[in-house]
Amino acid sequence: MKNICILFVLFALLAVPALAVRLQVVTTYPYIADLVEQVGQDRVRVHAMAGGQWDPHTIVPKPSFIAKLRRADLLVINGAQLEIGWLPPLMNQANNPRTNVGSSGLLDLSRYVELIDVPTSVSRAHGDIHPDGNPHFHLNPDNIPPLAQAIADRLAEIDMENASFYLNNCEAFTKKWEERLPIWAEKMSALRGQWVIEYHKNYDYLLHHYGIQLLGTVESLPGIPPTSRHIVALEQKIQNNAPRCILQDVYNPAEASEHLARKFDIPMIVLPHDIGAVREAEGIFSLFDEIIRRLTHE
Amino acid sequence: MKTISWGALLLSLTLMTAPATAQGSTKGSGNPFEQSKFVPDISLIVDVSAAYRNFLDSRYEQFAIPGFSSPYADNPAEELEGMNGRRGFNFNYGELVLYSVVDPYFDLFGVFTLNEDEFGVEEAYFTTRFLPYGLKVKGGKFLSHFGRINEQHTHYWDFANAPLVHNVFFGESMLNDKGFRLTWVPPTDFYLLFGGEIMQGENAMSYGHDGIANPAGDTVIEEAGGPNMFVAYVKTSLDVGNLTILGGVSNAYGSTRSNHGLDVAGEPGEAVSGDTNVLGGDLTFKYMFDSIRYVSIQGEYVYRHFNGRQYTKDETDTVSDQALKRRQGGLYAQVVGRLTKRWRMGGRLDLLHLNNIYLEHIKQDHPSNLPRFTTMLEYNPTEFSRLRLQYSYDRSRFELLSAGDLRRPTHELVFQINLAIGAHGAHAF
Repeated sequence: MKNICILFVLFALLAVPALAVRLQVVTTYPYIADLVEQVGQDRVRVHAMAGGQWDPHTIVPKPSFIAKLRRADLLVINGAQLEIGWLPPLMNQANNPRTNVGSSGLLDLSRYVELIDVPTSVSRAHGDIHPDGNPHFHLNPDNIPPLAQAIADRLAEIDMENASFYLNNCEAFTKKWEERLPIWAEKMSALRGQWVIEYHKNYDYLLHHYGIQLLGTVESLPGIPPTSRHIVALEQKIQNNAPRCILQDVYNPAEASEHLARKFDIPMIVLPHDIGAVREAEGIFSLFDEIIRRLTHE
Repeated sequence: MKTISWGALLLSLTLMTAPATAQGSTKGSGNPFEQSKFVPDISLIVDVSAAYRNFLDSRYEQFAIPGFSSPYADNPAEELEGMNGRRGFNFNYGELVLYSVVDPYFDLFGVFTLNEDEFGVEEAYFTTRFLPYGLKVKGGKFLSHFGRINEQHTHYWDFANAPLVHNVFFGESMLNDKGFRLTWVPPTDFYLLFGGEIMQGENAMSYGHDGIANPAGDTVIEEAGGPNMFVAYVKTSLDVGNLTILGGVSNAYGSTRSNHGLDVAGEPGEAVSGDTNVLGGDLTFKYMFDSIRYVSIQGEYVYRHFNGRQYTKDETDTVSDQALKRRQGGLYAQVVGRLTKRWRMGGRLDLLHLNNIYLEHIKQDHPSNLPRFTTMLEYNPTEFSRLRLQYSYDRSRFELLSAGDLRRPTHELVFQINLAIGAHGAHAF
């Protein structure tokens, strides 16, 4: 007991210099961290908890995340229940009142975009559905500027001294982003109206934006691996509609998609869903560059 | 534990959820005193199992672990084992969990165990949400954070029962008591947690504070005033690439008072009084191959140190006492792997390796190195449902016969189904 008391004091002393001057921002996913960096640059220190190669629904809640959350001035989350399976206990264990629900230190990005596929009836009989709508909204390039704006506004609110710095950076970022939109749109125009298949409903916002039609998902229900019956039905659809490709993410098993690709001689394209999912996707710009390059490659 | 009828419980649940279902139809024209948005997160977990053992229940119940369970306990096995207790079908538990933010200052959690005819409060506690400097206070009735597995709820365990060492030192309810906890997460780059708990000190296997009298009503053992159990722990963690290591040391110290029939006239009985100090160390390695597959190695060592007196009473109600020392220790070590999204398998070794009991400084003849081997295979259709098949070979149990204690190796096969509905219960590491 006495030893533990001494340890307490020792670590209290050690901890003082660790309190950094820069604003500490923690984000759940890498794409959010990059947006924070674009806006905050050298005035913030950003840490993304999840790696881009992991399944965003089931991130392993490592204790090291607690240490990061403990010191966060701002926690930026995707929201729309994407983090529900792993984040709440971490926040609870971090003992950080700045990032409580309802505090200015918690920013939920899903509030700043319109969600698609909001289910009219919510039941887990439909698999692991998201009652607020599809949470993978960052893959619509039009959604990126409002997300950056939300981050800039919040940074400006909690760090008023640097408010104009954040807002100016955001404006510059948005301008740069908007210059890319027509280039991407042009490349993607070849896909407009075509059918595709995806493993999980990861890319719906992207498909929507570029007018690509979704023929079906390889998994039978959200979060539920494909059954043979489901595959048979999907094969029928493939025969009737001749989809352009099958979109596979980097974390779900690819066997079923590979099987369909071989059987019907259509390409299976591995698409990054976030920064770091594939080597080429190093930032928010290169994530979209790479997605579009892979989709329009052949 | 308070006994209430299932009807009353269902009624109260219906009342809580009714406004939520009515909301859709009355939107806009509705009740100006609408409260449904304030309904807390609710979830219900149900656990049932089928068990087989190579002994009938009436016989198995009489088996004890010498030195760890009192020879005077009415039902030694029941004291050690709550889950899958019967050969055949078992309703292990229903668990009702309620959670909500109270106000800007507190969160409130309630975890209620529903048995066939009982409604029990497993946990009911508040935590603070406003304290600065990485501090948090928890108060109420809750599972101690001693070691690794003690704080985890039953449905989160990797096996169908608790480790043997936790059963013998803390009982089937684990170290679960009324009190307060203060935790501090220092602002270090790596994870570090300091915690201290002050508990009432009520635990069937190791702690207690009530005074004990003989059949005539004369005090034999003085009451130890509560609160009188203290827990302290430190935990830390390290990431090396895809490998996460979590370790901690814990200490629980408190008064011991236990009574097995010392106050009952005309029968032999015993009681124990003294102080118990339990030390624990835990270590977990978890390696993620990818988003789905992992292998996790986890182990805990627990050592119990008791100094005090043992009071024994014969049929003529004559009480005699002698100095009692216990130096006991045990561990569990387990390997669990997730092979695909739905399949998990694992094995666990339980070992009570140290069982030294001294009466008047003379070492008693009790067996040590008592092992149990367990293996399990799990199928998880989704994260809300789990089917588990578990086999264990238990060499820790003995039949206490007048001619001496006889080891009764027990084979146990359990098929367990665990289902959860309602609010999504995310789990800690």
